[in-house]
Amino acid sequence: MAVLAERIAARAEVAGQGYWEIAWRRFKKHRTAMFGGLIIFLFIATAVFASVLTPYTFDQIDLYKRKAAPSWQHPMGTDELGHDVLTRLLYAGRISLAVGFIAAFTAAVLGTLVGATAGYFGGWPDNLLMRFTDIMFSIPDLPVLIVLARYMGGSVPGIIFVISVFAWMGPARLVRGELLRLRTMDFTDAARALGASDSRILFRHMIPNALAPVIVAATLTVGGAILSEAALSFLGIGIQPPTPSWGNMLQNAQDFIWNTPWLAVWPGAMIFLTVLCFNFLGDGLRDALDPRLKL
Amino acid sequence: MSRYLAKRLLQMIPLVVGLSVIIFLLLAAAPGDPVDLLVFGNPNVKAEDVARLKHYYGLDQPLHIRYFKWLWAALHGDLGYSRTYKQPVLSLMWWRIGNSLWLQIPAFVLALAVAVPVGIYSALRQYSKMDYAATFFTFFGVSIPAFWFGIMMIYAFSVWHPWTAIPFLEGLKLPAGGFNSPGIPTGLPRYLDRVQYMALPTIVLSLLFMASYTRYTRSSMLEVVRQDYVRTARSKGLSESKVVNKHALRNAVIPLVTIIALSIPALSSGAPLTETVFGWPGVGRLLVDAVLAGDFAVAQGIIIFLAALVIVFNLLADISYALLDPRIRYD
Repeated sequence: MAVLAERIAARAEVAGQGYWEIAWRRFKKHRTAMFGGLIIFLFIATAVFASVLTPYTFDQIDLYKRKAAPSWQHPMGTDELGHDVLTRLLYAGRISLAVGFIAAFTAAVLGTLVGATAGYFGGWPDNLLMRFTDIMFSIPDLPVLIVLARYMGGSVPGIIFVISVFAWMGPARLVRGELLRLRTMDFTDAARALGASDSRILFRHMIPNALAPVIVAATLTVGGAILSEAALSFLGIGIQPPTPSWGNMLQNAQDFIWNTPWLAVWPGAMIFLTVLCFNFLGDGLRDALDPRLKL
Repeated sequence: MSRYLAKRLLQMIPLVVGLSVIIFLLLAAAPGDPVDLLVFGNPNVKAEDVARLKHYYGLDQPLHIRYFKWLWAALHGDLGYSRTYKQPVLSLMWWRIGNSLWLQIPAFVLALAVAVPVGIYSALRQYSKMDYAATFFTFFGVSIPAFWFGIMMIYAFSVWHPWTAIPFLEGLKLPAGGFNSPGIPTGLPRYLDRVQYMALPTIVLSLLFMASYTRYTRSSMLEVVRQDYVRTARSKGLSESKVVNKHALRNAVIPLVTIIALSIPALSSGAPLTETVFGWPGVGRLLVDAVLAGDFAVAQGIIIFLAALVIVFNLLADISYALLDPRIRYD
């Protein structure tokens, strides 16, 4: 009896809450996702306040202190030009995180537009757009990214653009699938019977209902975009020095691994930890927002 | 079966056309056409010579005509000429592809050999400690930047190797990169020597695939284990090994084979990073070198090759699905 009463109480409590409150309760229980969110928040904060946190600037060279080992003045040592590694790491976070967020957001918006158009109208627009999505999915993305990034000549908006061009397909498929489901729902018919226009039904009724999987996919895309940027910058065709990014800090580190291995450790560890946290966060958001979802 | 195949081949046409158009436009969008690059920095070339050359090579024709000419040449094995390597792209690529296979085949086998048993085990013991460890490993594998993992492996095995102080382990150092030790003749000794160079890049290349195959195996197995017929098999008293091997695994393998077939081209697409870190003379590193040198004809040739792989494995995935799953009807 006690168990039953408890259950009824729990259900009553849940029933009194909105969708987002329930999602937040579920999310809080996901320990790795909470950890991921916390670390990401911390990294964003240190990137934003980089100029307050360190006495150096990211392009400040000290030729008397090149490749210095970690010390009190330089907690992570200095690189081959005498830059303070910690300072560059903080400023690089600005670029790498910004590229990740903006590319993922652009991809999510693009994907939602394509998926919504396909799923809402069906028929030949659906066929055409989904064939195009399939083709984009089957393009070998890293090689094509390498070529396109080279055309962009290392400009930050250019890199963001090419990464988002190859990241919108996942959200597009998800939104299309959701809209095909929502199209058959009664509330859609009701809205249409009340005389709502196509765009009103789409933007007021359907897209908000299809948002949960897009948020999850976009979170996972941030991690992927950060990895792509890091790979391109490591190869020397992404973000160009002296602007620091976690990827281009690793560009020369391999050559110095025999004497100054710490130069290679920190930037890579930052990429790894950030991407890992975004993947944890996406995992937790999926469980919280839509447990049925498979991604 | 042949009708099913014919239908699949027909459905593949939009994919082939779409991919070829995108790849063609990729090179057409390159800054400067081949003639511009050829005469760049040569003051003796007059403007009318440039115009004559462009006309001779058909570069003054509209885009759609150039596309069909390009497609025709590509279908006949003419992938263009490398400006920096001074040879046809196809012959340049050929032996580089062979070198890449030295890494990709072992990496693929290693990924499967680890992922399938681990995935099955963690599905059968869901929420056990092993399952959590495997899940954490998959997160680790998809989040780590391959090139950084490679650099860390080089540091551990070529620079630091603290374990060489332990007896019996003093030989466990590996080269930091390369393809073969110098001065070793061809034949078996050369191949045996190559193994030590292959070890690290193979592990690095296979990690991402190991992680994602583990995830696929686990979820595909979990789906099957919950089915009624597995419960029936258990309740009629079959041994656990029979339930797993005969009833569950066979059905779990069907989607797995398809996913794996579709992922094989990605093994080649992901190789540029690993091959660059380890100085492996494969096709991925050729791509990076060519792009850095502005030799986009080589890059395009490699991308055509990778796209062809995608198409072939798409078809193979369809065929394997039809062969393995008797529920698929051919008509």
